Amino acid sequence: MSVREVKVCLLGDIGVGKSSLVGRFVHNSFNPNLTTTLGASFMSKSLTVDGNTIKYQIWDTAGQERYRSLLPMYYRNAAAAIVVYDITSEATFDVLQEWITELHRLGPQNIVLAIAGNKCDLEEKREISRQRGAEYAQEVDAIFMETSALNATNVEEIFVQISRRLPASTASPYLTPGGQSLLKTDSGRRGPCRCGSG
Amino acid sequence: MAEGGPPRGATGTGGGGGLGEKETWELFSNWVCCVCVVTFDLELGQALETVIPSDYKLSDTEKSNICYLAFPDSNSGCMGDTLFHIRIRCTGSGTGGTDLRPTNHHYGAPLVLMPDPAYYYGFVYFRQVKDSDIRRGYFQKSVVLLTRLPYITFFNFIIQRIAPEYFTHGLASLEAACGNMNQWPPPRPGQQLHLPILGQIIYVRLPTKSDKPAARDGEGPVIKKSSSVVVIPSVHDLNLHQALQPVLNNFEMIWELVITNEPIVVMGPSPTLCANTVQALVSLLHPLKYASDFRPFFTIHDSEFKHYTTRTQAPPRVILGVTNPFFTKTLDHWPHVIKLGEISSSNPGTEESRPHQRSRSPGDLSDTRPGVFSRYKPFLQKDKTFARLVISNKTPPGKRPMEVQNVMVKKHALELTTSFIIPLERYLASLMPLKRDVSPWRPPPQLKPFDSELFLKGMEGAGPHLTSRVKGNWTGLYQ
Repeated sequence: MSVREVKVCLLGDIGVGKSSLVGRFVHNSFNPNLTTTLGASFMSKSLTVDGNTIKYQIWDTAGQERYRSLLPMYYRNAAAAIVVYDITSEATFDVLQEWITELHRLGPQNIVLAIAGNKCDLEEKREISRQRGAEYAQEVDAIFMETSALNATNVEEIFVQISRRLPASTASPYLTPGGQSLLKTDSGRRGPCRCGSG
Repeated sequence: MAEGGPPRGATGTGGGGGLGEKETWELFSNWVCCVCVVTFDLELGQALETVIPSDYKLSDTEKSNICYLAFPDSNSGCMGDTLFHIRIRCTGSGTGGTDLRPTNHHYGAPLVLMPDPAYYYGFVYFRQVKDSDIRRGYFQKSVVLLTRLPYITFFNFIIQRIAPEYFTHGLASLEAACGNMNQWPPPRPGQQLHLPILGQIIYVRLPTKSDKPAARDGEGPVIKKSSSVVVIPSVHDLNLHQALQPVLNNFEMIWELVITNEPIVVMGPSPTLCANTVQALVSLLHPLKYASDFRPFFTIHDSEFKHYTTRTQAPPRVILGVTNPFFTKTLDHWPHVIKLGEISSSNPGTEESRPHQRSRSPGDLSDTRPGVFSRYKPFLQKDKTFARLVISNKTPPGKRPMEVQNVMVKKHALELTTSFIIPLERYLASLMPLKRDVSPWRPPPQLKPFDSELFLKGMEGAGPHLTSRVKGNWTGLYQ
């Protein structure tokens, strides 16, 4: 069985919980004292959905302004992006909309967009209604979920939804089950990639 | 110190929620010592602007060497971006002296790829562009990656990946790149490694010493399969054919000079060409490790300049790559000079320089044509088949792909080296005590002494002429 590798990138304002979501998805753990990310950190995790295994290459970007100009590097060639906001903060929802606009304008074509309204465990502090988030997502044709990295609500589900939405053609033809064989078949053969669709 | 590591390390490989102010650089230091930015300051000249990690300790000599060697020597011709590597002696007593020691991470690595405890390799990306906002009218800056790992192709790729991003996006991107490298798994030979860097994943496998030396296919250093994944087929394979192009005609002689540890100076028009050629010379001995010092790019500012260029002693047995024309005078007493010729306007890397016949006097300085200048009388004859196959392939250019040419050159060098080594190995094995004499109840058996006459006598029956088609006075070469 071949494993398909898919690049996915997390974007969103500082402090909305991007790293916590990744930590929950990859390690099923929650660390309340995560420090801020330097640029972007990388993690990977495989997920099997409907019998297809996808290895997610997850780029978890920093929300600080300082790194802002770097971020196109991380969504470039991504098959999916998860844009995160904090349901308890109106400001982060504005930033989310900026990101969606930028991705539409400069992101890869056919990128699968997902919107995560994080910290849904903090109902009492909510500033953005569920409906508002959902309507916006529908408007921009994105997957929508309210998530909680703290209690694991919808964290894996959002990746499952993304897996189902990935077009078959983004299946990366260069990825074979073992890196080893990949090296062998490639060596000495430069020039046009022999892969079919691309 | 060690106590600070584990908590972060434990989450570091996985939790990876980013690196705070006080992160440890444990994983980073498996690969890289530090990344520096060297700038040109109108008052101070070259100056170290940034070092990541900021607490990495470099001695003053090391700093000065990095600063001076990070810029091309006579750099008027180096507009745009220039990529090369340097090698400097470690003089530091701080972290610089100890931190990348060979550990069990490197267990099983080939000798030539073990970390070098006494030297730093510096991978330099120099940018010089016109900028009217700057008083001198030029922007001049270098990013230097310092490591003890001689993964030449690999780090050339890394520096090409991170330096341009730094010039575009500033320090934040260099921090981000270092943050990524601090997530890298240790450089274990034989494993398929996935290394994240600035939005891409590098797939690389470090060779082991049990890999067949000729197994590589001589492909280009980097195959891009897509922008999110890059495959680096070999961390250290160079394009020997390209680097040695001007002297291929004298290939066997060059090999002899290197294996007999003769002083060689490589004079070229750019640090890039010099560095590649010096590195290629050293790699002619693979799988043996060139044991003497070599400097892919050397300038008059190197702290060892005086020591290496003195006329009061015989030239040191080292290989230097230089670009400054000043060296033609300083080193005119050196016995062997390799000239790489001028940069052709189109593509400096692939220029077709016509090699000239050998054995011109090294002192003939007016001659700027590429080739070997040496009075050395080689012991071995030229391999005519090799010469015909590889060298005369040049017309029309590109008749045979570069990769194939490169493999042929590599094979030829390997054949020479192995042929040279086999008789030595066989003779040494005969000096070893027999297994039946080794016993815990007896005193350790003595090795028989190396008797060079006996060894040379044995050559008649079992010399390199059996394994190499290169004819000539092999016996003379051993002597």
